[in-house]
Amino acid sequence: MAKKTLFKKNDIATLADLKQHQKAKVVKLNTLDKALRRRLLDMGITEGVQVKVKRIAPLGDPFDIELRGYELCLRKDDLKLIDVEVIS
Amino acid sequence: MRVALIGNQNSGKTTLFNLLTGHNQKIGNWPGVTIERKEGRIRSTDFEIIDLPGVYSLSPYTIEEEITRKYLFEENVDLILNIMDSTNLERSLYLTTQLLELDIPVVVALNMSDIAFQRGIRIDYKYLEDKLDTTMIPISALKKTGMMDLIQVIKNRDYRKNKYTHIYDLHIEDCLKQLESHLDHSHKRYISIKLLEQDEAFYSYHQNGSKKIVETLCVTYQRDMEQVIADERYRYIEQLRDEAIKSSIEKMTMTDKLDRIFLNKYLAIPIFMAIMFTVYYLAAGPFGSMTVDFVDKYVSIFSSWLSTSLTSLGASAWSRSLVIDGILAGVGAILTFLPQLAILFLLISFLETTGYMSRIAFFLDKVFQKVGLSGKSLIPFIIGSGCSVPAIMSARTIHDETEKKMTIMLTPFVPCSAKLPIITLFAGYFFGDYSGFVSASLYFFAVVIIILSAFIMKQVLFKGKTSSFILELPNYKYPNFKYIFKDVGEKVLAFIKQAGSIILLASIIVWFLLSFSFSFKYGIDPADSMLAQFGNIFSWILYPFLGELSWEATVSAMQGLVAKEQVVASLAIIAGYSEEVSDGVFIFNSAAFSFFTPASAYAFMVFNLFSAPCFGAIGAMRRELGTTKRMWKAVFFQTGIAWVLATLVYQFLHIFEVIG
Repeated sequence: MAKKTLFKKNDIATLADLKQHQKAKVVKLNTLDKALRRRLLDMGITEGVQVKVKRIAPLGDPFDIELRGYELCLRKDDLKLIDVEVIS
Repeated sequence: MRVALIGNQNSGKTTLFNLLTGHNQKIGNWPGVTIERKEGRIRSTDFEIIDLPGVYSLSPYTIEEEITRKYLFEENVDLILNIMDSTNLERSLYLTTQLLELDIPVVVALNMSDIAFQRGIRIDYKYLEDKLDTTMIPISALKKTGMMDLIQVIKNRDYRKNKYTHIYDLHIEDCLKQLESHLDHSHKRYISIKLLEQDEAFYSYHQNGSKKIVETLCVTYQRDMEQVIADERYRYIEQLRDEAIKSSIEKMTMTDKLDRIFLNKYLAIPIFMAIMFTVYYLAAGPFGSMTVDFVDKYVSIFSSWLSTSLTSLGASAWSRSLVIDGILAGVGAILTFLPQLAILFLLISFLETTGYMSRIAFFLDKVFQKVGLSGKSLIPFIIGSGCSVPAIMSARTIHDETEKKMTIMLTPFVPCSAKLPIITLFAGYFFGDYSGFVSASLYFFAVVIIILSAFIMKQVLFKGKTSSFILELPNYKYPNFKYIFKDVGEKVLAFIKQAGSIILLASIIVWFLLSFSFSFKYGIDPADSMLAQFGNIFSWILYPFLGELSWEATVSAMQGLVAKEQVVASLAIIAGYSEEVSDGVFIFNSAAFSFFTPASAYAFMVFNLFSAPCFGAIGAMRRELGTTKRMWKAVFFQTGIAWVLATLVYQFLHIFEVIG
């Protein structure tokens, strides 16, 4: 498996590209499934919100994302659809 | 007066409901425990209160959330009691701002205010009250603080009437005002927002000209309006947060510390396996069997005492037989398993309340994702080791239809507590010292078959489909032992009730069918009984995995449909009948069942484990799958797999018996 590139500050990436403990700001939701996008919005993944990859499940998927003071688990496939700007 | 209790999933709604009403509803620490609405009366008032499934917003994502929105929208609700998690205010407020858009007064109970305070979160309640124009009361449902204030406010109707505050930008607010003027409905604010969001479910509310207003606004924004509304709402909440909430520098919370261990990259899965192993080892293994032997001893003593007493009282042969061979053999055989089940109930209840269940769903999702299930399927599976009925219902929290259906069809494969007596009985007798290992192997077998079946179903039926997984990780909670004991007590009581009703009745029927021939003659050879005649018709079905045409085993297995523990009751009645002595579980020394070998014993266990579940669970499948046709499909699928597996197991193990 190819080693994941490490994205640095101000890089644009998707949430699935981040490593553990990295922080980022959500730029855009590319989710096409309307119900899913609605749910992500309801859970607080709106444009501009700050998120942090709190941990990654032992088998590499899903991710545990910290945002708005709570933790939300999402699969990589869905995280790939969320564009972010890396903060740290 | 009707009060609706609304809050995020896992915000402590049901705990508050129980406190307000004095009920004892099911609580757990995983999102989605309340899957149906529950009704009660607030103490010292005649107010009706309804506990509704937890929602994150008024745009439902799963069917159980739809129940809540429908209820608020269509029933006459006089007051919304909105429970908020003080440690998770931002997301809680997202729902609150939506509730305020309905034309129903709202009172907010800020739950877990004690935990928030400990964590250094300071909330300016006054500011929030003024801003949202709604009454807010800090409470702790767990520590029972703030309850009197809350009840007083509701009772005296001493709450603010929520004049709507403007939370969106000028364009949107303006547009909403125009839309509202077109509508004639009590919830016109809410509907206007739904029209703006272009929610298809609300298209029918469009009036002349209202479509135009929405279209004009869409052109201005050039963005998805649902997203605009959500962004605006959260922007408003962020403002509130900045003004009203001060939180000190974050310390590592208890949850973080525990997750470092339980969600550790290398330890998570081994710890999970160890926990599950311990649970079933204690319940199904040597420790559980010990309690069975213990109780059985007393049942036997009681049985022989009763037999002598009845004889000395001059009871007729048939009435003595009914009591001893029918009722006591059947019901007694079941009651011996009670302590063992209590252990299992206790351990599962403990797991449910701590918050560990959601974590299991998180770190094992990958495995289940591969076979077309979801990590969330694990919650029904684990609950299913207690009882399939609540387990099947808890599958409602799964959003994806395919994942949900597969989970419902596979949940009955998990050995439920009623199957435990079958396992304990056969494993204990045929595998002696290895009984613990054999019991464990059945659980393992169930897991393998579930994964395999799911994999095949996915390949055949739902190829190439992907789905999402959205799960909130709740904070760990210190288990509330008072609640756990109450919960276990209720389950134990329900089991005793079942033994005293369904099993009692079934035992009497079995005894009757076994004691009489079709010409209603008593005192016949059991082989001439009605039961035997009936069993003989079907016994060929079980032949491939029993190696014997046994009407006795056939009718017993069939009674698993009534309740799985009835299989054991039936075995005990038939065995006790053909022998002169009826002695608890000496089933396998009787002429009827002496043909069992370890191979056929294991196969018989496998068949009972995987075949169609009891009527209760079949009914639950019918309700949750939606149609009778799907239910039949599930039942045939389960029984078919059970038959194939049992046959394979028997034929394979039998080779060794022949050689050995």
